[in-house]
Amino acid sequence: MGSSIGKRRLARRAAAVFPAVLATGCTGPQSALDPAGREAETVAHLFWVMTIGGAVIWVAVLALAVYAGGLKRQPVSEAFAFRLIVWCGAAIPTVILAALLVYGLYLMPELRPWTREAAAEPGLKGHVTGEQFWWRVRYDLPEGAVESANEILVPVGRPVHLTLTSPDVIHSFWVPALAGKMDLIPGRTNRITFTATKPGVYRGVCAEFCGESHALMALTVRAVEPEEHARLIAAEARPAAVTAGAGLDLFIAKGCAACHTIRGTPAAGTVGPDLTHVGSRPTLAAATLPNDQAARERFLRHPDAVKPGIRMPAYDMLPPAEIETLARFLGDLT
Amino acid sequence: MFLHGARNETLWPLMGPPTVWALHFAAVYGWAAVACAKATPDDSMFLAARWGIGALTVVALAMIAYAGYRAWQIWGFGRFDPPHAAGTETDRRRFLGFATLLLAGLSAVSVIFVGLPALFIAECTW
Amino acid sequence: MTATTDTAAGLPPPGSEADLARRRAQEERLRKTWETPKGIRYWTAVNNTEVGVWYTATAFVFMLFAGLLALLMRAQLAVPDNDLISADLYNQAFTLHGTVMMFLFAVPIFEAVAIVILPQMLGARDLPFPRLSAFGFWSFVLGGVFVCGSIFFNAAPNAGWFMYPPLATDEEQSGIGADIWLLGLSFIEVASIAAAVELIIGTLKCRPPGMRINMIPLFAWYILIVAGMILFAFPPLIAGDILFEMERMFDWPFFDPERRGDPLLWQHLFWIFGHPEVYIVFLPAIALIAMIVPTFAQRPIVGYSWIVLAAVGTGFLSFGLWVHHMFATGLPTISLAFFSAASEAVAIPTGVQIFVFIATLLAGRVIFAVPMLFATGGLAIFVIGGLTGVMVALAPFDWQAHDTYFVVAHLHYVLIGGMLFPIVAGIYYFYPITSGKMLSMRLGKIGFWLMFVGFNVGFLPMHFTGLRGMPRRVFTYPGGLGFDWLNMVSTVGAFVFAAGVGVVVWDVVRPKSREPYAPRNPWNAGTLEWLTTMPGENWGVRSVPFITSRYPIWDQPNLIRDVDEGRGLLPDAEEMKRETLVTSVLDAEPIQCLRVPGNAWSPMIAAFTLGGVFIALTFKWWIPALVSGVAFFCVLMFWLWTSTSLIPEKPEKDVGGGLVLPLYRSGPASIGWWAMFITMTGDATAFASLVFGYFFYWTVHADFVIDGGGPGVLWPMIAMGLLLASWAVTLLARRWNSADRPLPARLALVTAAVLAGAGGAAGLMGPYTHGMAPTTDVYPAIVWILVIWTAIHAAVGVIMLLYCLARSLAGRMTAVYDIDMRNVALYAHFLAMTAVVTFAVVGLFPLIN
Repeated sequence: MGSSIGKRRLARRAAAVFPAVLATGCTGPQSALDPAGREAETVAHLFWVMTIGGAVIWVAVLALAVYAGGLKRQPVSEAFAFRLIVWCGAAIPTVILAALLVYGLYLMPELRPWTREAAAEPGLKGHVTGEQFWWRVRYDLPEGAVESANEILVPVGRPVHLTLTSPDVIHSFWVPALAGKMDLIPGRTNRITFTATKPGVYRGVCAEFCGESHALMALTVRAVEPEEHARLIAAEARPAAVTAGAGLDLFIAKGCAACHTIRGTPAAGTVGPDLTHVGSRPTLAAATLPNDQAARERFLRHPDAVKPGIRMPAYDMLPPAEIETLARFLGDLT
Repeated sequence: MFLHGARNETLWPLMGPPTVWALHFAAVYGWAAVACAKATPDDSMFLAARWGIGALTVVALAMIAYAGYRAWQIWGFGRFDPPHAAGTETDRRRFLGFATLLLAGLSAVSVIFVGLPALFIAECTW
Repeated sequence: MTATTDTAAGLPPPGSEADLARRRAQEERLRKTWETPKGIRYWTAVNNTEVGVWYTATAFVFMLFAGLLALLMRAQLAVPDNDLISADLYNQAFTLHGTVMMFLFAVPIFEAVAIVILPQMLGARDLPFPRLSAFGFWSFVLGGVFVCGSIFFNAAPNAGWFMYPPLATDEEQSGIGADIWLLGLSFIEVASIAAAVELIIGTLKCRPPGMRINMIPLFAWYILIVAGMILFAFPPLIAGDILFEMERMFDWPFFDPERRGDPLLWQHLFWIFGHPEVYIVFLPAIALIAMIVPTFAQRPIVGYSWIVLAAVGTGFLSFGLWVHHMFATGLPTISLAFFSAASEAVAIPTGVQIFVFIATLLAGRVIFAVPMLFATGGLAIFVIGGLTGVMVALAPFDWQAHDTYFVVAHLHYVLIGGMLFPIVAGIYYFYPITSGKMLSMRLGKIGFWLMFVGFNVGFLPMHFTGLRGMPRRVFTYPGGLGFDWLNMVSTVGAFVFAAGVGVVVWDVVRPKSREPYAPRNPWNAGTLEWLTTMPGENWGVRSVPFITSRYPIWDQPNLIRDVDEGRGLLPDAEEMKRETLVTSVLDAEPIQCLRVPGNAWSPMIAAFTLGGVFIALTFKWWIPALVSGVAFFCVLMFWLWTSTSLIPEKPEKDVGGGLVLPLYRSGPASIGWWAMFITMTGDATAFASLVFGYFFYWTVHADFVIDGGGPGVLWPMIAMGLLLASWAVTLLARRWNSADRPLPARLALVTAAVLAGAGGAAGLMGPYTHGMAPTTDVYPAIVWILVIWTAIHAAVGVIMLLYCLARSLAGRMTAVYDIDMRNVALYAHFLAMTAVVTFAVVGLFPLIN
């Protein structure tokens, strides 16, 4: 027992030193090697241990191969060559692989405990739908469901249980800093559970090829302290900040409401993302554009130039002033 | 047909141990998949599958051990080292025995590997 | 039997005038018999030396094309937010890159190389079915050009080489590209299976006398295993293709969840093919290393049995890995765990192979040359790919790494280190066999270092690119996420690597007419393929020697002289017919002198007409498809009628050394019977995949079988009864034919044909009379597929039975010369099995459910 803890500590230390060496090469808002979630931390660990072990094995095998290929050398005996195959080729790899497998099997139910008991654990519950090429997000709160898009607000230190579905093609939900991925498959409901360990903004992407703009289907996950989270979610649940005015009139007159919902207004379309608080989101168009006035205008004019294959029509026939008004209105929806 | 030493010698015995592995693999995968797909609320099917996988693993290992023993016998209980390279019937037979023994070893390890999950995984994903 | 001693044969003393005259006359006849035609008729050649070289060259052209697509992608990804090419073109490019590399390079190149060198290695004149090789080659060319050409019409498949539905079943998003992928590749898969049949029989039955199973070259062991794997790996994909194309063409909802289909069934079928595929690609390349290492260590391999262990073991284990491509699909944890376990286990035989090579080098005195350089470099790369493979085999790590650039790096380390480098090593090594010339040491070294350095610069950073969050199959990425410079480095590396490939290609194609021919056996190798003269002759081996060693050229004194002087078997072609030896499986005792067919147009025309069917179907041109299909049928009948199961002018012949062998054998003693057996094994695998689909849906849906919505019990049972009756009558026909009672045999053939036809029709009546509408739900759809499959097989049975009848009436099938009858009886066994399973599943299973 003591030695296993000692070994684990050693592995931890090794795992701590190496990231330090490669720190500059591993950080980032979308890096599995800069983990901020329970699963991601364990896996990053596993990665460094396996990488160091693998590097040692590679150097040893290659050194032996280069030595064996050397020209001025006495041949070894056949019996020795035979023992080399038995031990280095068969026995040692079997032992290493068995150990690795046992560790992996132990981790599987540890890391992905989506069982009835786990689901009953308190934590944030929600539903994510992958659609070409954005993410529909729904928080299942005790007071009712709240819809949003392309941004998920999660509390630090509490488990987050998400159910995952898709109405069109297969997508995959992946926020590298928090956890590994899980596919969203039409006709099936998948589940993922993760726990953020550090506050921060983490970027996620669609990891299963889903069509023309697969590359442009990202999202952000904001992990905040639980009290802050409660406040943000309450804000998210409120109706829109602007419920009248020229912007809203244009929004409805130009047909935007056929696809988008702005709670508190007559706009109640469900085809596209819910825009009730779009102004408060850090990014636009599934984390492909910054959420500023210029980007909003550009996107309204030519969504398909930003995102090929997008279902939203272009509005470049609108006069610039109207585009500007619409974009400003959207920005005001905080 | 799947054991060495039969009257009409063929190449099939060589495939014996890995065939046992393949059947074992298909059986445990199929059993677990059906147990999870048709799961009842009390998890009894999955529990039965775990025990069943254990039993199948023991049976498969016994079959591989028997095939391995026969192969070992054919090889001469390790008295005749490789290379078994001569163009004689004896060497051909020893080669097949030795290769089958090696395959029995690999198949046994693989059967154990594939049986291990039943020890660690106590539930279907809900 | 010592065929190389000349006294028994009564040959004139060596070196005498009479002996020289004998040899010259023999060589003249052999040369004439095996001659390759000139002019336009050159393309009718079927000899392995021609077809194999065409095949290899074509596969390389496809590889270079896919490589250019890769450079295009790397250029696009060099900097963030790049707009060099559009998203759609990028998606077409990566789809085609993967598809072409796998289907048009990696698998065919193994078949191609095997066609060139396997017969030489086994002292055979040719493979047992040369026209089948030619048919496979022409199918490959046509299918390959069709698939590759699509990108020039902006119509290439764009849904990834894995073609996941519902994206790839969506007509609007995947366009005609998906049909091109499905039909073009199905066509090539059929050709691959044909090659597998040929190579299995070539390895097991066409060896030189004395070459027992413990003595065959390791390359042949690998080819045997890999061909066997193809037989079980490709049919599930063909079954998947059928379901897929039925959904695209006729809206049958196999993968549509709204009508209870399931996209995951495709993933299962695709990866049941796709993972063994990796080993199908990898093992033959390792086989080349297993030939190269002993030559340059100048000693026999240490651990021959261990290589056999590794090849057979990998062959089996590779079928237990497929779900590791599906770790993130939400399958039950325990299912993932089984595949994780098998994925770890498969590393064991791979490790064994590497240490066999190292041990052999250690126990030898190594001569270093360009092939060894590529072999060692490949090893260095492959070991990294193997180690990252062990990493991604652990599901928790794979949840992060899956579908990222980490996996891109992993698979390229495996395939380029484990396949491309060994293939280049093989090219440098075997080049003299095909052309008589050597490749340049200097260019080889330059090419190697460019490739090696470029590859690692290009792909090593991708491990980190992936774990820092870059998913696969993205046409662009935003800056500032931490992978900008990593991508730039990868692009630079890719171009350096491409330069290295360019140097190697130049070395191969540069004109060499001024260079001298290589000396014979230039590397001082020990195996039979190096008996060839420089330049080689079409006949393969001058005469077939008796083998007493794994490395006959090293260990058997005077071997080359005896072979050259025609002191082995088959030194002559007295009847001006192409002949090769058939031997027994374990001990290689000669059992037949096989007449192999010569050059003909029929393989090419058959390939083109069959290809026409697939191409016409892509565009839904029903009439041309039908016309092409009828044309194919006619060509096929002509081919079979004129060149198979021919009654020889005499029952047996002296093949030299006083050995007299029959010219005709039928039943299990004939290679045709084994070809039928092996083909039907593949066919049964495809059928099993469809049955798997039925039960897969059953596990997915609580009430999969619709009450009262099935085909009933009556019609399925009638169909089963009729088809079993047809089977019994076919066996009677075989018995009466053997007993030389042609009249009852012919009547039985007719009866069996009628019963089979009625049985197939009765099978269709079940779903038809119950009004099962296949477009409404997946249950009627899968039932229809099973009965249609069985009905088509029954129809093929009818044709076969009538063919036997015609052969009997034409006097081409008799009591003794009965290959056709015996092969059809074998087919009848499989048909009966298919009928029992199909009708039990669709008719009886609903009762117990």
